[in-house]
Amino acid sequence: MISTGVAGLDELLGKGVPRGSRVLYSLEPGVDGQLFMITSLSCSLKKGLSCLVIHPNATVGAFRNDAVTRCGARLDLEKTGQVIFLDAIDRERIQKSAKTPEAQAREWQARIEKICSENRVDVIFAYLDLLNEDFGLSTALQILEAGKSGEKTTLFIEHLNLEGKKLIDRFIREFHFDLVMAVRSSDRPVPHFTYFTIVHSSWNASVSRSVPFIISENRIVPYIPKIVVTGPAQSGKSTFVATATEGNRPQDRTSQEREPVPEVMDYGWLRWRDFEISLHGTPGQGEFDPLIPPALKHAMGVVLIIDATKPDTFPRARQLIGMISKRKIPFIVAANKSDLAGSMAAGTIRKELDLNKVIPICPVAATRPDDVHKVLEALVDYITQYSP
Amino acid sequence: MYLYKTGIAQIDDISGGLEAGTNILILAPPMSYAEQLAYALTKPLQGEYSIVLSTNERASEVIDFFKLAGADKRFTGVIDAITKSSTPGLTDTTRLMFVSSPTDLTGIGIKFSNMIESIFEGDFSEGETGLFPPPIRFCVNSISTLLMYRRLEVLYQFLHVLTAKLKKTEGIGIYVLNNESFDDKTLSLIKQLMNCVIEVKVDANISSFRIQGIRGVTGEWLKFTVTKGQVVILP
Repeated sequence: MISTGVAGLDELLGKGVPRGSRVLYSLEPGVDGQLFMITSLSCSLKKGLSCLVIHPNATVGAFRNDAVTRCGARLDLEKTGQVIFLDAIDRERIQKSAKTPEAQAREWQARIEKICSENRVDVIFAYLDLLNEDFGLSTALQILEAGKSGEKTTLFIEHLNLEGKKLIDRFIREFHFDLVMAVRSSDRPVPHFTYFTIVHSSWNASVSRSVPFIISENRIVPYIPKIVVTGPAQSGKSTFVATATEGNRPQDRTSQEREPVPEVMDYGWLRWRDFEISLHGTPGQGEFDPLIPPALKHAMGVVLIIDATKPDTFPRARQLIGMISKRKIPFIVAANKSDLAGSMAAGTIRKELDLNKVIPICPVAATRPDDVHKVLEALVDYITQYSP
Repeated sequence: MYLYKTGIAQIDDISGGLEAGTNILILAPPMSYAEQLAYALTKPLQGEYSIVLSTNERASEVIDFFKLAGADKRFTGVIDAITKSSTPGLTDTTRLMFVSSPTDLTGIGIKFSNMIESIFEGDFSEGETGLFPPPIRFCVNSISTLLMYRRLEVLYQFLHVLTAKLKKTEGIGIYVLNNESFDDKTLSLIKQLMNCVIEVKVDANISSFRIQGIRGVTGEWLKFTVTKGQVVILP
């Protein structure tokens, strides 16, 4: 197996990527996912594997500088003979020496073939975009395949995905990639959180899932997404967390910061869509407010539970909204007990809580699993879906 | 909704300024002062932020313009897409970022997001804070250069994402495109992403512009020059 260099990712894949695989890192525009490719390269070099880097966008110098800045001292690109480059200058030379696209494609292919056979290249790291533009996707991939000697050479590709799911599907169905990983971010004005989705794995079909990550000390650090459930006292937070968690895996009450979640807080864990999510329920009483800022740290979103039959608790809800908004964390409102007589309508609640019209309000009964799942679905959609 | 003053009375007096989310295309022949016009519209006013994506000149030259125009450098960021190819050792700072070449749309997108993020998080201006939510003026100088390196369809998709993000952040975008070097199909495709077009022409060494797409603003030709980062309408 070849390690991707990202501990959490290797674990999900089963110790890494089988030799000879074709791997795609598909980056959404604006998402800082370039470290995946560089980390995988760094890891291969560390293992003593022979690597070819094909980067038609950049000169070797610019790439080296960027990669070392991003990856830190652990990336050694100076090892003689262990890493070979084809860069922007090679692309220029090929364009000058071969006049037609067909001749240029042949020239690329010949160069890659020669480098790979002479240097027994184990892993090819290729930046696809310009080759794709120059020759089209099929030919560009054929060119890169030229370096794959038999079953042993592994191919890592990074590209900027401007076409979305359709293009990812082509890599899986038409070109039979073994691992397709999309790197995305929640679509809010500020990238709120970034995550990778294992869209396809040929050796482990059950692995499909999404995992948020942060970049810390030049490393990709995956984490379990956290949703904070808060609201005034007696609004139904504990019931909500219990209903959501029911039937799911046991909890060890350890947060992503590796600290135990305080006992006064509710804690739950569920698998929702591709995400594994932990739920952290804060106590509603004001004396526990100091617990809220640490709970909001690295939170993916917040569910604010209110009791739709008790407007006298709304001032406290407004206070909590202030605390959440200050940290610019997306939140939605779950109007609990909406099934009871005398509960307030969503429009009235919006007015009373002075909520922006884009913030979803979900009428629920916290005891009903379907209602709770609808709230989580609305929150995940609110955070991740693109709506310009 | 926040309104961005342009310093052009014909816009500011009638509409109060450009609405947040506006994307403006400056269509201009070479040597027509279009670059200065774009920078004058991008210059940050009190409490605002500016980001320039430069594919034509080095970051230092962009900064010089803003310095001469009296802009506060702490509120101005540059993504330089040309210097790194000749000086690979350059490293990014919060307000000065480099991509390897104008072909590198992945890098451009990431640096743009990084700058927006640091503005929103208050890390952009050495502890100084502007307005919140932050009004951001973003300039691409120029689309012409990007089109020399990347296919129209690819660039269209990329700009589509960029303009949509800018709308969402309630910023404004100013994009310069040489209208003499590209065919009608290219111009009309790029125009589709914009809400407003400023056309520039030069007659007898005097530049003029006309504005299309702002309600209430007539499309008459106005002679202009740019002095110290300020658009001056000539009689």
